[in-house]
Amino acid sequence: MERMKHEKSYTICGLAWHPKGGQIAYTDTEGNLGLLENVCNRDGKKSSGKVSSAVTKDYNDLFDEDDDFLNTDLIEPRSSPKVVSNEEDDDDDDLMLASGHPRHRGAIIEDDENSLDTALMKVNSNLEKDDDNDQDGSIPVLPVSTTQRPFYDGPVPTPQQKPFQSGSTPSHLTHHFMVWNSIGIIRCYNDEQDNAIDVEFHDTSIHHATHLPNSLNHTMADLSSEAILLACESTEELASKLHCVHFSSWDSNKEWTVDMPKDEDIEAICLGQGWAACATSAMLTRVFTIGGLQKEIFSLPGPVVSMAGHGEQLVVIYHRGTGFDGDQCLGVQLIELGKKKRQVLHGDLLPLTRKSYLMWVGFSAEGTPCYVDSEGIVKMLNRGLGNTWLPVCDTREYCKGKSDHYWVIGIHENPQQLRCIPCKGARFPPTLPRPAVAILSFKLPYCQITTEKGQMEEQFWRSVVFHNHLDYLSKNGYEYDENAKNEAAKEQQELLMKLFALSCKLEREFRCVELADFMTQNAVNLAIKYASRSRKLILAQRLSEMAVEKATEMAAPEEDDDEEDDFRNHLNAGYSNSTTEWSQPRVRNLLHEQDLEDSKETNAVEEVEEMPEMQKFRQNPFCKTVGLPEMSTPKSAVITSSSQGRVNPFKVSANQKDSTAHSANILDNMSKFSKNTPTPNSRAVNKQKSPVIKPLIPKPKSKQALAATFFQPRPPHAGDKTVEEKEEKAENILPEIQAAATENKRPKTGFQMWLEENRESILADNPDLEEADIIKEGMSRFRVLSSDERMVWTEKAKGGAASNSAEAKKRKRPADAKNEGKEKLKEKSEEDSSLPKKRKPLDPSTNVRLSAFAFKQS
Amino acid sequence: MDPAEAEFLAEKELVTVIPNFSLDRIYLIGGDLGPFNPGLPVEVPLWLAVNLKQRQKCRLIPPEWMDAEKLEEIRDQERKEDTFTPMPNPYYMELTKLLLNYASDSIPKADEIRTLVKDTWDTRIAKLRLSADSFVRQQEAHAKLDNLTLMEINTTGTFLTQALDHMYKLRTNLQPGESAQSQDF
Repeated sequence: MERMKHEKSYTICGLAWHPKGGQIAYTDTEGNLGLLENVCNRDGKKSSGKVSSAVTKDYNDLFDEDDDFLNTDLIEPRSSPKVVSNEEDDDDDDLMLASGHPRHRGAIIEDDENSLDTALMKVNSNLEKDDDNDQDGSIPVLPVSTTQRPFYDGPVPTPQQKPFQSGSTPSHLTHHFMVWNSIGIIRCYNDEQDNAIDVEFHDTSIHHATHLPNSLNHTMADLSSEAILLACESTEELASKLHCVHFSSWDSNKEWTVDMPKDEDIEAICLGQGWAACATSAMLTRVFTIGGLQKEIFSLPGPVVSMAGHGEQLVVIYHRGTGFDGDQCLGVQLIELGKKKRQVLHGDLLPLTRKSYLMWVGFSAEGTPCYVDSEGIVKMLNRGLGNTWLPVCDTREYCKGKSDHYWVIGIHENPQQLRCIPCKGARFPPTLPRPAVAILSFKLPYCQITTEKGQMEEQFWRSVVFHNHLDYLSKNGYEYDENAKNEAAKEQQELLMKLFALSCKLEREFRCVELADFMTQNAVNLAIKYASRSRKLILAQRLSEMAVEKATEMAAPEEDDDEEDDFRNHLNAGYSNSTTEWSQPRVRNLLHEQDLEDSKETNAVEEVEEMPEMQKFRQNPFCKTVGLPEMSTPKSAVITSSSQGRVNPFKVSANQKDSTAHSANILDNMSKFSKNTPTPNSRAVNKQKSPVIKPLIPKPKSKQALAATFFQPRPPHAGDKTVEEKEEKAENILPEIQAAATENKRPKTGFQMWLEENRESILADNPDLEEADIIKEGMSRFRVLSSDERMVWTEKAKGGAASNSAEAKKRKRPADAKNEGKEKLKEKSEEDSSLPKKRKPLDPSTNVRLSAFAFKQS
Repeated sequence: MDPAEAEFLAEKELVTVIPNFSLDRIYLIGGDLGPFNPGLPVEVPLWLAVNLKQRQKCRLIPPEWMDAEKLEEIRDQERKEDTFTPMPNPYYMELTKLLLNYASDSIPKADEIRTLVKDTWDTRIAKLRLSADSFVRQQEAHAKLDNLTLMEINTTGTFLTQALDHMYKLRTNLQPGESAQSQDF
C-alpha cells in the first residue's frame, strides 16, 4: 500500500481513490463519514494551489444528479488531483468523464446486493494486481455518496470458479452424480441411513455394478475402463486421500490409497490409460500409475479448475489470473504422458464465452480435448490449425425453454455425436428419475448457414475438423480406421465438387479456382471436365494449370528426398523408354473423357458419383515411391490390358500429361471460338494462351504439345472425322508430349547409356522380356555394378548429354512400335527450333481443323 | 383374431432402450437394428426390448405418453367425452401390459400407470358396449366408431358380428316362418 501511495501521488488520478483503498480495507464500510474526511485532508494537502475551478464544475455537474447531498467540498479535492493529470494526459481525463457517470450508477444498483461488501473487499485486495489498469485511470474508486459508502465502480473481478469434476452434479445434494462419462456412472448417496457410492457401467462387460461404502466421505470421483478413482478432502484428523479401485488388475489386491501431505487437499482428479492424476491445493499435479506408484509431479501456474485424462493425454485447466466482469481467466495445459513426454498446450488462455465459466472438460472418444462453458458452447481443439479452439456446437440452440440446459456427458467425433442430458429448468439432472441421454449434432458457426453455399462450407469444414483426430492418431502411432479416413476424404471431395458446381452455376469462376485449390488431383480433373463441359474455358484452362502445378508440387518435395541423385536419373531414363506402355492408359483416359463429353449428362452430381472411383488413386504408388516409377510401369501395362484404364498407378503423372492434353483440347475449343465469334474478348483469350503458363511448368513442354497438335496428319475435311481419328490423334499427341517432356527435362543418364550398351545381353538372357521388364532387369544389373563403373557411365552421360539428346530421341522412337506418327515426329523435332516462327502462319488453318474437331466433340 | 394376435402385432412397435452391451448393427428382415452402444438410447421393436430386458441386457425408457400425468389427462378426457378420444398409441394397452410386466423397474410410478390405463380401458369398453347396445336397439344399418384400437375392436368385434348374424337370422326366420305358414296351405 505504501508503495502504491507514492506512485499515485505522482500520477495523481490515483489520489481520488487510493487512500480510500487503504482505509476501507480496514474499516467498516458503514463508517463512511470519517473516511471521507480523511480523503479531504489528504487531497487538500497535495492539490494545494492547483485546483482548476472549471474542471471542478464539470465534476459537479457530473455527480449532481445522483449526489444531492454530497457537498462539493468532497468532490473538489478529489477531482483536483485529476486536474493535474489532465494537464499531463488529456486522454485519461476524457476516459474518466465519459465512463465515470454510468459506472457510478451501476454501482448504486449493485448496492442492493448483499454480495457487494465482499466484492468490495475483493476489489481492494485486488487493487495491487491491477496496477496496469490504474495507470490509464479506468479503475477509479469513487465513493457511493448516496449511501455514504465508498465503492469501486471499475471492472469487477469475478470470483474464481471452484474446482470441479467433469460430469458431476453439486455435492451438497444428498443424491448426486460424481461422474457420468462414456464408461459409466458413479452416484453418491449421502442421506441419514446411508452414505454410499454406486458405480454402474454402461457396458456390463467391463465390470459389474458395484456398491462402495463412503466412510471417508469422498467428494471426487473418476471412472475409466480400468479403475475407479475416488478422492476426499482432508478433515481435522485425516489427511486428504486418493483412493483407487483398480478392478482390471489381475492380482487379488485391487485397491490402493495414497495420503496427501499435511495441509494439501486434492481438488481435482482424473484417470487416463494406465495412470491416475490429481491436482492439489498446493498447486501441484501428481501423477500415479494405475497400480499406485508415484510418478511425475509438476507445479501448476494457478489453482486448478478441472482436469481430464484420455489415453496418455492429460489436460489441466487452472486459474491463470483474475477475470473481470463475469469472465473467468483460465489457462490450459495439455501434456502427453506417454513415452515421449511433451507439453502440447503450454498454459494458453482458454477462450471462454463472455461472462461464462467452465462446465465440462474432457476428451472426445477419439482423444481430442473439448470443453463446454456455462453458455452451452462446446469447443474442440483444432489440431489442424495450430491447436486453436473451435466452437463446434451451441447447445443452447437446441434448448426449448430459456432455463433449459444440456448437461454434456461425452463427445464422439466418429460418428459425430454430442451426448448430453436435457435438463428442464436446470443446469444438471437429478439422479431420479434416471435421466435419458440425448444426442445432439455438431454445427460450426459459419455464416449464412441457410444458404446452400454456407451449408456446404460448414459441412466441409466440419468434416475436415472432425477428421483431424485421424491425422493425430496416425502421427502418434495409434491404430486407426483407414476406411474412415478414406471415407472422410471422399466426403470432403464430394462436398468440394458440389460447391464447385454451385459456384460454376453462379458464374463465380475465381471462387471455383479457389475451391479447386482444396481439391485432390482427381477432383481437380473432374472439375476441369465440368468446367469445360459447362463452357467455362478460362476456368478450365486455369484449372488445368493448377493441376499441373499441383502435380509438380507433389513430385518436387519427394524428389528432394531422394538420396541418390544418380539413381533417380536412371529411373527417369527408364521412364522415358517405357513411353509406349504407359501412354496407353492415358489414351484410354482421354477417350473416356471424350465419351463422357459426348454424353449429354452434364450435372455435377454425376461427376461426384465418379469420385469414389477416383479416390483410390490418392494412394497411388507414384506419390509414395516416386523413386521407383518403373517398377510400377509393368503394372500399369497390366492394368491397361485388363481394360481398366482408370486404375492407373501413374495417375498423378498421367494427370499431369492429361491436363496438358486437356489444355490442348481447351485451346482447340478456344480457337474455335475465336473463329466463330471474333470478339475482342475471345482475342484476349487467344492471347492469353501461352503467356499464362506459369513458371512452374516447363514451358517448352506445352509448346511442343501444341506443336504436336499442329503437325498432326489430318484429312483436309474436318467434317468427316471419326472417332478412330480422334483416337489416333490422342495416341499421337500423348507420346509426343511425353517424349518432349522427358527429353526436355532429362538428358540421357549414365544408366540409359549403359542400358543401350547392355540391352542386347539382357535380351539374350531373357528373350521374352517386354520393354518395361528389360529396364527393370537392367536396373538390377546396373545396381550390381561397382560405384566406380557407375561413375564412369555417369560421367559419360554428362559429357554426351547435350549432343546425345536429339539422337536418343530418334533412337527411342523406333522402340515405340505402336507409334504411328513416328515419321512425323522426326519432322517435328527437326522443326522444333523453327517452331515459334512457323507457328503463327500455321495457326489459322489448324484452327479450322481443330475447331471443327472440337465442335464435334462438344 | 384373438388377443394374442393383436399383441403379436403390437410387438412390432418401437420402444427406446439403453443397452448395456456393445453390438454392431444387426440386419433383420424387418429392418436394420442398432448399432448398440452401451449407455446410448436406441430404438428397437418391443419384442426385442422385452427379450433384452429379460436377459438384463438393457434398461428401458418408457414411451413419452407412459407418464402418470399425461395418462390422467387422457383418462379424464375419455370420461368427459361421449365418443372415443384418440389414444396416445394404437397399441397402448398391449404396450402397457408388456412393459409393466417385464420392465416395471425402469418405469416410474408403474402401479399408478397400470391403474390409469386400466381405467381408460374400462371407460372405453363401457362406451363400446353402450354403443353396441344402442346400435342393436335402434336397428341401425351402420355406425361410425373412430379412434378404436385393434385390441378394443377385438374384444367385441367377433361377438358383435356373430350376434348380429344371429339376430338377422332370427329376424329373417320370423318372416319366412309366416310365409312358410302360408306355404303350408
